[in-house]
Amino acid sequence: MAASVATAAVGTARFWRVLIYTTLIVFAVMYLLPLWVMVVTSFKTLDEVHDGHMLQLPQNFTTEAWSSAWGTACIGLTCEGISGYFWNSIKMAVPAVAIATMFGALNGYVLTKWRFPGHKWIFGLMLFGCFIPFQVVLVPMAQVLGRLGIANSTAGLVLVHVVYGLGFSTLFFRNYYEAFPNELVRAAMIDGAGFFRIFWRILLPSSGPIIVVTVIFLFTNIWNDFLFGASFAAGGSAPMTVALNNLVSSSTGVKEYNVHMAAAMIAALPTLLVYVVAGRYFLRGLMAGAVKG
Amino acid sequence: MAFLEIKNVKKRYGTADVLKGIDIAVEAGAFLVLVGPSGCGKSTLLNMIAGLDAISEGEVRINGARVNELHPSKRDIAMVFQSYALYPNMTVAENIAFGLEMRGVPKAERERAVAEVGKTLQIEHLLKRKPSQLSGGQRQRVAMGRALVRQPQVFLFDEPLSNLDAKLRVEMRTEIKRLHQAMKTTMVYVTHDQIEAMTLATEIAVMNAGEIQQLGTPQEIYNRPNNIFVAGFMGSPSMNMMAATLEDGAGGPAVSLATANGHALRLPLGPAAKALAGYGKRQVILGLRPEAITDPNGADRSGNSIARADCLVEVVEPAGSDTFVVTRLADKEVIARMRADADVRPGQLAPFAFAMDKAVLFDPETGKRIG
Repeated sequence: MAASVATAAVGTARFWRVLIYTTLIVFAVMYLLPLWVMVVTSFKTLDEVHDGHMLQLPQNFTTEAWSSAWGTACIGLTCEGISGYFWNSIKMAVPAVAIATMFGALNGYVLTKWRFPGHKWIFGLMLFGCFIPFQVVLVPMAQVLGRLGIANSTAGLVLVHVVYGLGFSTLFFRNYYEAFPNELVRAAMIDGAGFFRIFWRILLPSSGPIIVVTVIFLFTNIWNDFLFGASFAAGGSAPMTVALNNLVSSSTGVKEYNVHMAAAMIAALPTLLVYVVAGRYFLRGLMAGAVKG
Repeated sequence: MAFLEIKNVKKRYGTADVLKGIDIAVEAGAFLVLVGPSGCGKSTLLNMIAGLDAISEGEVRINGARVNELHPSKRDIAMVFQSYALYPNMTVAENIAFGLEMRGVPKAERERAVAEVGKTLQIEHLLKRKPSQLSGGQRQRVAMGRALVRQPQVFLFDEPLSNLDAKLRVEMRTEIKRLHQAMKTTMVYVTHDQIEAMTLATEIAVMNAGEIQQLGTPQEIYNRPNNIFVAGFMGSPSMNMMAATLEDGAGGPAVSLATANGHALRLPLGPAAKALAGYGKRQVILGLRPEAITDPNGADRSGNSIARADCLVEVVEPAGSDTFVVTRLADKEVIARMRADADVRPGQLAPFAFAMDKAVLFDPETGKRIG
C-alpha cells in the first residue's frame, strides 16, 4: 500500500518535471530561432537566401556578407560599410559609461556618507530624472548642445548619455553604499584619511559588484540607444544603431538580407561581450560578498 | 589640571536633548568607563570626544587643549568600534598600518610598528590575511592593534566586546585590562555591561537619560550609590530594594520592614550609621546587595552589625559557587547570596544574616541616597 503510494508520488513528480522541461525547451527554441535565422542567413550567398529555406544551413558557406557589412556596404551615399559607425558607437559608449559610473559612485558616496541638509531632495530629483521620457528632452537638449557647440558630434552624444545615465548610476551606488557600514568611514576619518582617500581606498575597492551592474546597465542602454543618436548625431558621427537602420531601410537596389543580418550581428556583439565577460565578474563579486566580511 | 576634561557638554538633535550637560574630568592614565542602558547617550558622548559628532555646547579638552574644533584625525586619539570596522579590502597588516600611512610615516617604520603590535597582541601569524578570514576574537585583536599602533594620547572603545561570545568576552576583558596596566594610556570605554565597567574601570560614569548619575571609583559606585538608579543598575543580581521605616532606637538607628506573616522585622543599622541618627521616624527605601544577605555561617564575622532573622524561603537557585535564595520582605522578592552548601529548602523557614553595615538608604520620593 505504502509502496504503491510512493510509486504514485514518484510518477507525478516525473510527470511535472517532463512538463516543465518541455515547456522550457519550447520557449528556448522560440527565442533562439530568430538568432538561428540571423546566423545562417549571414553566412549564405544572396542567391541562396532567395532560393533556399530560411532555417536551412548554408550550402556554400561564405563570410562575404560579413566583410561587406563591415567594409563595403552602402549606407546613404558612402559605401564603406558600418565599421566607421561601429567605432563611433565605441567612442560614444565607453567614455559615457566611464564618466557616468564614476560620477554616480561619487554621488552615492556623498549622498550616504557625507549627508548635507536637503540630500533627500537632491536624490529625489536625480531619481525623477530617471523617469523623464527621452522624447521630452529632445528639443531642449538640442538647444543646449547647439549652444555648447557640440551638436552633431560624438562629444555631444557622450554628454547626453552621461546626463541620462547619472540618475541610474547614482541610484545604484547610493543604495549600495547605504548598506556600507558607516563605522568604516568613521574609522578611516580617525585614521586621517580625507574625503577622496576614503572614497578611493575604502569604498571603491569594495564596490566591484555594483560597478559591474552599473556598467552592464549603462553600456547596454547607451549602445542600443537609437533616438538620441538619430536626433543629435546624424551623418558621419552617427552611432552604429542609426547606421544599421540606414543600411537596412535604404530603398535602392536589392535587399541584401545576408549583409543586413551580418551587420545586425556586429551591432549586437559588444553588448553580448560585456555580458559574457563582466557577468562572470559580477557573479564572482556576489560570491565574495556572500562570505561575511 | 585633569588630562581629559568634559565640561558641561550638551548634545541636541533638533529639540531633543540627548546629553544635558556632562561634566567629567579624569587624570592621565585613567580608565574611564561610561556605562548605562541603551539610549542614555554614552556612545554619543564618546563620538563627541572622538570628533565624529559635533558638540552642541560645552567643551572637551585633551591634555589641556580644547579639541572641539579639531578634526578626529588631529585629536591624537584612536578608537575601537563595536563592529571592529576593519577595512575589508586590506590585509590585517595594511589595516593596522593605514593610520600611519595616512600620516606619512615611511614604509620601513610602518612595517616595524606593525610587527611590534602584532607581537604584543599575538596576531603575527594573521598579518597577511584579510579580515573576512578571521574569527570574531581575531578581528577584535586586529581592531585593537589598529588603535595601538598609533600610540595616541587617548584610546576610545565603543562596546568593543559586545559582539563576542561570553567566554571570549571575559578573555578579552582581561587582555584589555592587562594592556592598560602595561601602557598606562588614558582610556575611555563605553559599555552597557556593568560587570565590564566594574572590572576594567578606575573611574565609572553611570549615565541615564543624558545625565551623569554618578561619577566615581568602582568601589564608590558599588558601595555608596548616589541614587536608586545607580544602585539598581550596578551589580548582578541587582541590589534588593525594600520599603522600610527608619527610626531611632536604644542601640542607634534601625529600620523595620513588613514581613509576610504581618510582623515587623526590625534591623538595627549598627554603629556605622550614626549619621542617620538625627532623621527621626520616616519612610525610606532600604537597599541591600544580595551578598549582604547570607546564611549565618557564611556571614562576615568581622562585620559588627549583623542582624539575624528567620525568613520563609521561596526559591533556591544553586549557581555552583554560590546559592541564590529568594525570600519575600516588605512584599518584594529579596535575593540572598548564600554559600553553595547552605542547607536551605524552599517552603521552609531558614535563618538569614543581614550585614547592615552594607545597607544603603534612599529617599522614596527623590530616589537619592540618605546619609
